[in-house]
Amino acid sequence: MTAPLADLDRARDSALDASGWGRRFTFYQPRNFAFWGYLALVGTGMFVAVSNVTSEYDAYSQAIALAITSFSIYAALFWWFTVHIDHYAKLPTKLMVVAFLWGGFAATWAMAAAANDAILALYAKSFGQTWALNWGAGLSAPFTEETAKGSGLLLLIALAPRQVRTAFDGFILGAFIGLGFQIIEDIAYAMTSAGSQFGANQIGASIGTIFLRMVSGVAAHIVYSAIFGAGLIYLLGRPAEPRRVGRGLLLVATPMLLHGTWDSVGAIAGSSALALIGLLVAVIVIALVITARVYELTVRREREFVREVMAPEEARNVITAAELDAMAGNRKARKAYRKTGRDRRERKRARWVLNAAYDLADELAAARGADTDRVRFARAEVGRIRAGVPAAW
Amino acid sequence: MPDHDADTSSAPAAPRFEPDGGWVPADERLLGVDRRTIAPTLAVFLLVIVMSVVLPVINTRVPYHDIVRAGDVVELQDGVTFVPEAGWGITSGVRAGNAPLSGVYPATASVESRAVRFTVHTAPFDGDANKLLDQIVTTSEALNRGRGVRVASAHTTIVTDQGKQGAMARVTGPHSGGVIAAFVFNGRGVEAVATGPSDTGAEPTAAVFRMIRSIRAPGEGTR
Repeated sequence: MTAPLADLDRARDSALDASGWGRRFTFYQPRNFAFWGYLALVGTGMFVAVSNVTSEYDAYSQAIALAITSFSIYAALFWWFTVHIDHYAKLPTKLMVVAFLWGGFAATWAMAAAANDAILALYAKSFGQTWALNWGAGLSAPFTEETAKGSGLLLLIALAPRQVRTAFDGFILGAFIGLGFQIIEDIAYAMTSAGSQFGANQIGASIGTIFLRMVSGVAAHIVYSAIFGAGLIYLLGRPAEPRRVGRGLLLVATPMLLHGTWDSVGAIAGSSALALIGLLVAVIVIALVITARVYELTVRREREFVREVMAPEEARNVITAAELDAMAGNRKARKAYRKTGRDRRERKRARWVLNAAYDLADELAAARGADTDRVRFARAEVGRIRAGVPAAW
Repeated sequence: MPDHDADTSSAPAAPRFEPDGGWVPADERLLGVDRRTIAPTLAVFLLVIVMSVVLPVINTRVPYHDIVRAGDVVELQDGVTFVPEAGWGITSGVRAGNAPLSGVYPATASVESRAVRFTVHTAPFDGDANKLLDQIVTTSEALNRGRGVRVASAHTTIVTDQGKQGAMARVTGPHSGGVIAAFVFNGRGVEAVATGPSDTGAEPTAAVFRMIRSIRAPGEGTR
């Protein structure tokens, strides 16, 4: 039995209100205290980062140029991937940039760097240099870096309370904070490597570091912060995400444990290269499996929003029930829907129809469910593609 | 078959009004600021103060207690060693026989006595001691950009107790001075840098030279 259209429209309005999907984000908010806090800390971090690079540029220009180029491409790939997985109730791009800059500059240079140095030195003074070399990094960075990155999400919630509404939003914004942190940290590591051979053979000295950081970065700061971000939202609770303290604490502690294990693999593996490689691979695999589970856990709420926003379109025969299921389903559901096409052309068209339907969902969200010109156009596009009519534009 | 011309009558034609992102309800203002944003921002600032002020201050107030005893040997990567002066404090690096669990000794070690700091760093290097010293000076000058310490003498020769010949130069700064020594052992460069106040006495200077001469690397002949 299908609910009356008016009920479905009301459910759509509620979903749009709860999710914040389609709301524009205004960065310049002079009456928001978090705005000034963000500016001060990201500004301080940028100043320190730029000072570091410029002071070392004359000595290590080759390695710095290589690192910035390599990690910019690397960042672009991860940026694309993270935007790609946020294809349900999407967050504003401007908010993602704000998150990235927090991770890159505030969390690193305004917070974690000073704390890491101090804690490592204190460990060495308290427990000896050897102990600090073995366990210092693993027992400092997970606490300082994860909290520094996570505190950025706290500011983002204060800056964008109408947009950051679900644990999945925390997951995505956390990933962008982690991406920023990772890229700037990687560049700093490459600069350190450039000087490790007295400033000679800069490229040779830093290329290994760049490669290793790229490989290990697949399951490092990006995934740690994504998990932490989801956990923080569960811990705090949001209008579209009831507070779940136990789950929140577990998700906040998990990346710290993963990070600590990663930073201690050299000590845990001992002098065995085989054990070291095995442990590194195991930690990466475990981190990726946990991330996939957290993604599946958090994305359900977003899929519900897609269903609630698009259900009136199904009731109005703009899309079919199968298309609605595919839109609000996972990758497998979308693939299964496409495979129902009899031939390659139909399967290709099915994919285009789904993409057009997602465009319609975004337009509906931006219009807060109203029947605007843009919505009518997006709706017409679904029909045009389904009918196989060539685009007029 | 879906029909995009189907009924849309129940949907409003214009979006519902929502205030812009910077709007603050009158009952949430405190001196014009959205008071809901104060607590999270202060929490973040508290974290920043702990990380960038409190922890570094605690660190500077906790003294080192890792004092060199007679007979101690500090080891670096690939078996490079030096004998630190008894009574100096080890601020980084480890003693021979106390390798980290990974089995790899660090590339750098430092010891300090009062304001005099002695640091040894090792890494692969292709060339002789004079070339290494030139490289160290070039990198140092590029980093300092004319500020800080500068090389104040031509290269001189120094020979370690192992019989290894190295290159050395004096450095001076506005209120400090010191020496840089460079050795190359079978493709492994070793840099030793000592810096301290300009008025450092004869005893610390002699101690620095003893430490430089104590630098060794395994399986090395003279060159």
